[in-house]
Amino acid sequence: MSPAPDLSMFKRFMVSFRKGDIIFCEYEPGDTFYLIQSGRVQIVRIIGDLEKNIDILYPGEMFGEMAILEEAPRSATTIALDDVKALEFNRENFEVLMMGNPAIAMKLLKLFIKRIYDQKRRFMILTLDDTEARVADVFLMLAENQSMDTSAVDSIDFKTTVDDMSHWAGIPVAQTREALNHFVAQRRIELHPDRIVVKNINDFQRFVNSRRKHQEK
Amino acid sequence: MSPKAVQYRANSIIFFKGDKSEWVYLLNAGKVSLNYVDVETGQEVHDLIKMGEFFGVKSGLGRYPREETAVVLQDSSVMAFTPQEFELFAAKNTRIITKMLKVFSNQLRCIHKQVQTLMVSDAQENPETGLYKIGEYYLKNKRYGQALHAFKRYLVYYPTGAYAGDATNKIVQAEEFVSRYGSGAAQASPAAARAPASAGSPEGPAAGASEAPRREKSGELSDTAQQYYNAVSLVSQEKHTEAFKAFKKILEAGGDQEYAAKAEFEMAKCLFHLKQYDSCVRTFSSIVQKFPKHPDLREALFYVARSYEEKGDAAKAGGLYKKITTMAGDDDPVVRRARKALKAMEGQKA
Repeated sequence: MSPAPDLSMFKRFMVSFRKGDIIFCEYEPGDTFYLIQSGRVQIVRIIGDLEKNIDILYPGEMFGEMAILEEAPRSATTIALDDVKALEFNRENFEVLMMGNPAIAMKLLKLFIKRIYDQKRRFMILTLDDTEARVADVFLMLAENQSMDTSAVDSIDFKTTVDDMSHWAGIPVAQTREALNHFVAQRRIELHPDRIVVKNINDFQRFVNSRRKHQEK
Repeated sequence: MSPKAVQYRANSIIFFKGDKSEWVYLLNAGKVSLNYVDVETGQEVHDLIKMGEFFGVKSGLGRYPREETAVVLQDSSVMAFTPQEFELFAAKNTRIITKMLKVFSNQLRCIHKQVQTLMVSDAQENPETGLYKIGEYYLKNKRYGQALHAFKRYLVYYPTGAYAGDATNKIVQAEEFVSRYGSGAAQASPAAARAPASAGSPEGPAAGASEAPRREKSGELSDTAQQYYNAVSLVSQEKHTEAFKAFKKILEAGGDQEYAAKAEFEMAKCLFHLKQYDSCVRTFSSIVQKFPKHPDLREALFYVARSYEEKGDAAKAGGLYKKITTMAGDDDPVVRRARKALKAMEGQKA
């Protein structure tokens, strides 16, 4: 990792949160983004009756950056895991920060690249008409996210749940469960409470490819 | 190490779609086109690279497979950078990164919207219910500080919302629990959930829960901003008449100039949805006159064009759609919508 950039000139943007404080809630309109200076920040989503950990961010990392794109509701809740100090920026002072700090700008550029790619990948899933193909494609996406070379492995253990799969596939939980049950019946997957084992990921790759080709016709 | 100059002959390929390589390119001279199929329309798109423009940045820096095929149309000279060379170069030319950030944020906004459109079928929580439920979740799980925070945020955005009464009651409950047992998972300070470090001592403890949302500290929403978001939430519920009134109130109060301008823009949009096309055209025209370089100029023109189309004035509508499509920002969603509208109009004529 490159050395932390000198941000002393941005002191006036410093905000602090105590351990346990919510920084922002999912669904709130957002117009600020943050650069962590000290402490850790946990990103969670409440799905059904469970709080799901999405990520834990460390000093030097950013969050809430989608807010500078549009005033869309926040897509997750952020909680200070320790006492946290962060720089808080909005669209107006964003440019000042970027111009004065190429290292941060570059970091954000890479973050945007990743987000664009993630969203495009997600979009590809949603363009599939067939629910089972969508669910299978979610597994492929998850494997790609783990930087797995799917051609080199067969069985993969995914730490995911039906609710998560439903979210990524953009289909209701009941339908997702149905698709997964069908895969279980075909012995293509094993369903556990906290994980799903895909027995032959290449088989899913072929399945999704064929559905996609079929749709293009 | 420094970037190397590479010459390409006409009709050669710099990279193919699907290739994996880290090179980032800068077009110095010649003509290069990025060819790809638009996932939405299924049509082949040819994007010409401008002289002095970088290409292959996303795939190069992100180490993703190339999403386009780069075809050389005329003999060309390009500079090829490794990611490290590109970073070094960009660090000295921050304007390049900020320019790219704008382009990428635009692309991201675009693809994000496309995803959201396809997600409509998914039972997405509306933001109001979602926010309230977060409070409920934390209250149920005895994380009172966090519950308190969520309910308070709810009241900031939805002071007259469907759960406003319940949220108020639960704030009282949660405050009682906090005073009795502490914040729960961690000791949070409900009133000063986010105190600027330099601002000395935060405000006193939270006042009565029924108190109207107070003006918050720097970085938080002002009263005008809250009113604006309330009005925006009415738009999202398609309550255009109520939203129009709420935006009008913000504009007439004449407080925060930024929000007044935003409110006027939204009012004009509401007028379109209320089918008051003449008023919509008038309002947008006055906005454009006042702010000829309005950041959402394209959108304003688009609504004016649609109003003309609704009024049956195809000539004016067509002219405006054409104008939008010639404005910079080819991948802008409004430009695409205008192009689509033009096509539809042409289809009707045929």
